Amino acid sequence: MTDAELQATEKQEIKPAEGELTHEGVYFTPAVDILENPKELVVMVDMPGVDKDRVEIDLKDSILAIVGRVFEDEPEGEELLSEYRTGNYFRTFRITDVVDQSKITASMADGVLKVTLPKAEKAVPRKIAISSE
Amino acid sequence: MLKEEREMFRWRLGRDPIMAEFERLQKGMDGLFEAMTGPRSRSMGPLWRQARLFPLLNVTRENDSFVVTAEIPGMKTDDLELKVEGDTVALKGERKPYEPVSDESFHRRERASGTFQRSLTLPARIDAQGVQATYKNGVLKITLPIEKAALPKPIPITAG
Repeated sequence: MTDAELQATEKQEIKPAEGELTHEGVYFTPAVDILENPKELVVMVDMPGVDKDRVEIDLKDSILAIVGRVFEDEPEGEELLSEYRTGNYFRTFRITDVVDQSKITASMADGVLKVTLPKAEKAVPRKIAISSE
Repeated sequence: MLKEEREMFRWRLGRDPIMAEFERLQKGMDGLFEAMTGPRSRSMGPLWRQARLFPLLNVTRENDSFVVTAEIPGMKTDDLELKVEGDTVALKGERKPYEPVSDESFHRRERASGTFQRSLTLPARIDAQGVQATYKNGVLKITLPIEKAALPKPIPITAG
């Protein structure tokens, strides 16, 4: 447990020079956690405002691309305070041979996407018993 | 009111003379520092950005209600606490960190965790009974109806 005080981090917008994006709308780089255990890698992606039906995960040439699209409410009423911007999310990861690419699964809850990347058989560490002669 | 709530920084909306004064002071100090050390490479931005308050809030007024939204992904609603008093709404919570078990390790850890509290003073008094809060896809949305007494009341003028 931590009693650290949470501080706001400003959303990082993807600059055209840093990517090939020519999509419509604003794209942000979501914050991620990457966790490893002996069996799998787990990637958690913060994408507030994104519905599970509006997440796309693509795997091509060992690049895992995650896109989350927000449903933009038509701004109603008078804006009194605007501290954060809303927009879509985009981030890519390079997947190595460690991962069994056919077994990748994903789930979404409360604006957090969880991608589970199981390790390939050969990458799971095996204990070799040493017998005494 | 609890002591900690009094100490909570109140963020006022609209034409707040105190905030306006702070902003004026900030500009003055910035100018002074710039004169001493040369122009700063990075703009410091408005006060809220420097204060790094969490969560960041968007507020709109829709008809007779204020709508406050905040992006707080991955929360349990039990870990969020919301209070309304008069014209002030107070939000408190904790985003719990994931505790890795013994054979797990983090390669990357960008998602912030910790406690937060924010209090916002709206331009009108709130009808506390009518406040509604929903949490969906990691976004908290609070709808705060303005108290009847605070709404403008048309007075019929009778010809004498």
